[in-house]
Formats: sequence, structure tokens, C-alpha cells
Amino acid sequence: MTDTSIKDFEAAIAELESIVKKLEEGDLPLEQSLTLYERGVQLSRFCHSRLEEAERRLEILNERGELKPAPASFAADPPPRS
Amino acid sequence: MSDLFDLPFEDEPPELPEPQEPASAAVRAAGAVDPPVVRRIHTVTELTVRIRDLLENDLSEIWVEGELSNCRLWNTGHLYFTLKDSATQLRGFMFRSTLRYLKFKPEDGQRVVARGKITVYEPKGEYQLVCEHLEPHGLGALQLAFDQLKKRLHDEGLFDPARKRPLPALPRKIGIVTSLDGAAIRDIIKILRRRYPNAHLVVRPTRVQGDEAALDIAQGLRQIARVPGVDVVIVGRGGGSMEDLWAFNEERVARAIARMPMPVISAIGHETDTTIADFVADVRAPTPSAAAEIVVSRKDEFYAQIDRLRDRAHGAAQRCVQALGRRVHVVSGRSAFAGFPGRVAMRGRHAAELTHALLRIGRGAVAGRARRIQQLDVQLATFDVGRRLAGIHTRFVAAEGRLTGAVRRRQDRAKAQLQQIVGRLESLSPLAVLGRGYAVCWTEDRTRVLRDTAGVEPGDSVKVTLARGELDCEVRATSATTEVTDRDGGHE
Repeated sequence: MTDTSIKDFEAAIAELESIVKKLEEGDLPLEQSLTLYERGVQLSRFCHSRLEEAERRLEILNERGELKPAPASFAADPPPRS
Repeated sequence: MSDLFDLPFEDEPPELPEPQEPASAAVRAAGAVDPPVVRRIHTVTELTVRIRDLLENDLSEIWVEGELSNCRLWNTGHLYFTLKDSATQLRGFMFRSTLRYLKFKPEDGQRVVARGKITVYEPKGEYQLVCEHLEPHGLGALQLAFDQLKKRLHDEGLFDPARKRPLPALPRKIGIVTSLDGAAIRDIIKILRRRYPNAHLVVRPTRVQGDEAALDIAQGLRQIARVPGVDVVIVGRGGGSMEDLWAFNEERVARAIARMPMPVISAIGHETDTTIADFVADVRAPTPSAAAEIVVSRKDEFYAQIDRLRDRAHGAAQRCVQALGRRVHVVSGRSAFAGFPGRVAMRGRHAAELTHALLRIGRGAVAGRARRIQQLDVQLATFDVGRRLAGIHTRFVAAEGRLTGAVRRRQDRAKAQLQQIVGRLESLSPLAVLGRGYAVCWTEDRTRVLRDTAGVEPGDSVKVTLARGELDCEVRATSATTEVTDRDGGHE
């Protein structure tokens, strides 16, 4: 039940879905439902953090396989300042 | 030039005589027209040179149509072939350097249109077509090439649906292999920025048309596959003619896509354009813009999806707590003694005994109920539903407060109900019957109510309970025959 138990975004969504299903099917002891629910909240938090995790960047990979930030003029469509 | 011709035709002597015939006929005809005023005798070489000059000047740029036969690719990479129709044949040759640009593979039996020039191979007195371009008759060369490659890769299983990989739901980095010049890349970036503002994009610029494009694209794909974190790649370009899009019909691009370790979205031209790359890619997007929409969901949709799931989980957890509340209620309603008081009231004879039993049971039950409710209280406190849920998400606090309140209200109601029942129980106590003149006779130790004389001897002590007070009596005699009639009658 710790964060390391969440593999990735997709796994988190899948587990969250299965938790919701289990909870909605009912017939669970209260303690177990609450444990599941807590896990669900943990998963949804993880998903939220993953959504913000990607860094807004535009990089150019040149023919020598080197990564460089894209020229500002090129990336300028929406402000690329961050 | 002549050293080029040395190679092939020395290797193929048997076919030489045949093409000579029309040529000799032509020579005869020429001789007949020309009046031999002065007999000018040529050497063979002189004549051959003259023929060469005539043919090569006149037929330096010609188109000829026929059926390919005897196609042979020399190990030098040059192609030798014969063009024929129903009556005649023409030898043909194609340099490796020009052969390279053919989009299809020449094969025997194909009807083709060839462009080139006639040259004469002097050592053998032969003429032939040096072909500069070859294309399938009718069907375009590109189309034929397309069909050939498509069939080959299809047969290899490269288009197999089982090969198609699902796209990652949330790519860490999105790779893009395309030209920096066209509108395609700008469309993709614009749309991705709108849908998922903090997406991390890696662009590998490539040529997307011309002879070098296929090589560049294939290399670009291989390179971008090595960038850590890139877990999906868009490859494509904007619209154009079939020739413009041709690089994406090249085998090396198809193979590069097939070898990519992560899913590839093809986004080539317009919706109506289909290239070999589209068949090999894991997902075909009709346009580059569409690829940007396919590669990742809108960020707000992600949030909506997650929040929807969490809300459902919360709703279900809440219902579970409510179910507990209902259970408390049901326990309070399931009265073990609900029907008891009435029955007791009917049993005058057993009144006192039953009263004791009842009071015991009743008190036990009350105590049990109290314990049970206490337990539930403890459970609720242990779960501390309100605090846990509130701690988990502030939005849930209000709901939880209401919930806990509801549970407690039910408990209170249950307690009140219970007290009421006990009250009724006592008011209906069989002791009340004694008020109507009945008495209860007990054994001396008050453990048993006496119903007959059995076991009672004269001299025994008995106790008699009256409505008010109790008598301590001694039995003087017993009479088994004396009927103790039920004066009240009919109550049982």
C-alpha cells in the first residue's frame, strides 16, 4: 500500500478502475472498503502528479543524435518560455 | 562507352544472330535505292561507324513500348533485357546508376515504356537501346512499385494486426520525425500544446521528399528510438503528390518503422493518401493534426477521467458506511422480545417465573444491545469515518459529517426504541396478574413454581407470592386429586 506499489500511469488507472468496480459491487466489510477507497485516492493522486510531471519542452534531435532545445522562433507558436 | 559493352554480350553469344535479319534487309533496301554510279567500297568499320552515326544522331531520345523479357541483372548492377513485341525484339541495357531510380522492379512479361537512345556496339555490329527510364505501361511505375512492395511486406507479416502495439496512455516524451519546414510539424506542435500544454516533444528533422528522404527518415526513426523516455513516435509529412509522398513507400522506411521498439503513428499526407508506412505503423493517423490528437488525450480529459473514478470510489465507500448505518437500525428493529410481552400476559400461571426469566432475558438483551451499540460506536470511532475521509479529501468532509450524523441518529433512535420496549415489557409484567387475586406458590427456595402436589410432602415449607407481599407457609397435607381450576378460564 505504499507509493512504490504503483507501476505507472496506466497501471494506476487500471487499478483505480478495478477498485471502483469492487467498491460498487459492494458486499465488502467496511474496513476493506475504506482500505480500498484510500488506495483509490492514493492512485488518483499519483495520476494527478504524473499529469503534471512532464516537462514542457521542445527538443530537436540532430543527425548526429544530439538533443538541442528548439530555436525559439520555431517553438514560438504558443509561448515556450517555461 | 565501348568497354561497358564488352562485358555482357560476349557472355551471351547464342542470341546474336537473330536481330541481324532486319538490319541486313535494311542494308539491301538501301543498296537498291542508291544508284551505284561510283562504286564506293566501305570497310566494315567505316560502315559501322556510319551506321552508328546515323542511329545515334537520329535516335538519341526515343520512347519505345514493349514487353520485357530476358531481364538479367549483372553482378555489376547493370540490367540487360530484351524488349519485344509480336514480331521483333530490341536489346536493351540500363546502367546501375539509372536503375537505382526505378521505383519498381523490372521483371519478364511486364509491359513497359522505355526512354533512352540507340547505340551501336561496333565490335559486334549490334545496336541496342540504352535505357534511361523505364516505367510500366498503363499502370504508373510508382503504383506498380507500391503494389509490389505492399505484397511483399504483407506476405512477410509486417502488416499483421497482431503486430500493432497499443499507444501509451500518457507518453513521457513524444517523438516526431518529420520536416521542420512544412505545416505538418507546426500543426502537430500547436495541437499538442493546446491539448497537453506540458508535453515533452522531441523532433528529429528529416527530409520528407526527394531521393535522400527515405534514408533520412529511416535513420531519424532509429535515432529517436534511442532517446530515453520517448515512448511513442509520430512519423509523417503534410500532403503532396504521390511522388512527394514517395519516401513513405520505400522499403527502408517501412522496415525502420517495423523495427521501432515503441509504437509508431504514421501521419502522411491527407486522409486519402495511403502509404506503405501507414500499413506498417502501429496506428495510422489520417493527417499530422490527427496524429497530434491521437498521441495523447486532452489533459483535462485525463483529469476528468481520474476524478470520475475517484468520485465513484468515494460514492461507493460512502454507501458502504451507510449500509453499516442501516445494519445498526435493523438490529434495533429486530426485537427478540417484540412478541414476548403479549404472550407473557396470557400465561397467568407462569407469570412470576416468566417474569423473572423475562426480566433476566430482557435485561440481558438490553445489556447485549447496549454492548452491541457500544461496539458499533467503538467501530465507528475506530474507523473514524469522518476524519479519515476528510483527511483524504476535503471535498468529502461535509458529506461525511452528514453521514456520521445519520449513523448516530439511528443509534439514538435504536436506544430510545429499546428503552420503550423495556418499559412496555415491565408494564405488561405478569406480576400485574397477581393484582387480580392470583398467587404464585413456590418451593421454599423459590427456584420452582409449584403446579401440582408431586414432590411436595406435608411439613414442607413453601412460599406464596401475592400481589403485595409474600407468605411463608407450611404444607399440612397434599391431595393429588384436588383440581386446581383455572378460575379465570379461557386465557390459555
